Amino acid sequence: MDETLDASPDYGAPALVEGFAHVVAVEGGTAWLEPEQTTSCGGCASASACGAKGIGTLADRLEARRFSLPNRDGLRVGERVVVGVSEKALVKASLTAYAIPLAGMLFSGAMAQWVAGSDLITMAAMFGGLALGLVGARLNAKRLNARGELSPHYLRRADVVITCHF
Amino acid sequence: MKEYILLMISAALVNNVILARFLGLCSFMGVTTRIDTAVGMGLATTFVITVSSMADWGVETYLLQPFGLGYLRTVTFILVIAAAVQFTEMTVKKVSPPLFQMLGIYLPLITTNCAVLGVALLLVEGKMSFISSTLFAFASSIGYSLVMVMFAGLRERLALADVPRLFAGPPIGFIVASLLALAFMGFSGMSAN
Repeated sequence: MDETLDASPDYGAPALVEGFAHVVAVEGGTAWLEPEQTTSCGGCASASACGAKGIGTLADRLEARRFSLPNRDGLRVGERVVVGVSEKALVKASLTAYAIPLAGMLFSGAMAQWVAGSDLITMAAMFGGLALGLVGARLNAKRLNARGELSPHYLRRADVVITCHF
Repeated sequence: MKEYILLMISAALVNNVILARFLGLCSFMGVTTRIDTAVGMGLATTFVITVSSMADWGVETYLLQPFGLGYLRTVTFILVIAAAVQFTEMTVKKVSPPLFQMLGIYLPLITTNCAVLGVALLLVEGKMSFISSTLFAFASSIGYSLVMVMFAGLRERLALADVPRLFAGPPIGFIVASLLALAFMGFSGMSAN
């Protein structure tokens, strides 16, 4: 049987970015998951080392990022699972959160500079544009969330030995 | 109009923050293993650099210079940048909690990114008007994002290439980064200054 390994991956297929999370609470049919710290550079860990304890600590940041998923697999507290987010979702989320407010800000600043040459007016116009851009970002985020593109999807339970080193 | 475009091209390509000025190298090596993380980090940094540069220009023009407090510049700018990062984090959380869940990991990394402080100090040195400073900061951060995405694409390819065992990972990444910096030297001579 002539089996040749297909070494060229299909770059066009939509990939899932996988991450690890552990279950912190189970309420009926919903499981609450907390993501694990994954960045290899330790930047987030060092951010907790310099701030006031209890406010900006790593545990606080991870707690703020808790999310819930329907508990279909009978998960228990303390289990480690693999969740996935579509690759495109990250790019779309970044563009929504940052590009829309930036575009609003720069456009209104450019208009203000063109109409009136003063620095203060341009500054005020930029803040206004930023606010408008944030409203636009909120609307777009609501739209993306309604389509389920921002939430992680449960993939499987994680093997105990596998850790995430990027 | 032409001078603004030249200013932006000069800030983004000719005097690129990463490849010409060598700022922000730890995030450059750290988040460029995948293209989508590089895009997320680049956009977040663009937002923070632009907003904090606007605030820094205001602080410099209305507080530091009139009162002769130039010696406080570094400390004040770091404070403003940290506040800008916190502001961004709070804003993203308020705008959309699911967005924050996805993007929140990048924000603390930006506080200590020397590219942010570097751009702020550079635009103060340039003594430009408000709109020029903002465009300079925006273009610098766009150049930063562009190089991050390019390098992420290169590293994704490198991960699949037949690299000698001792060079695999960061070593070949550094070598490729230096080749990329050499390539960007081709832009020199197009500068606005």
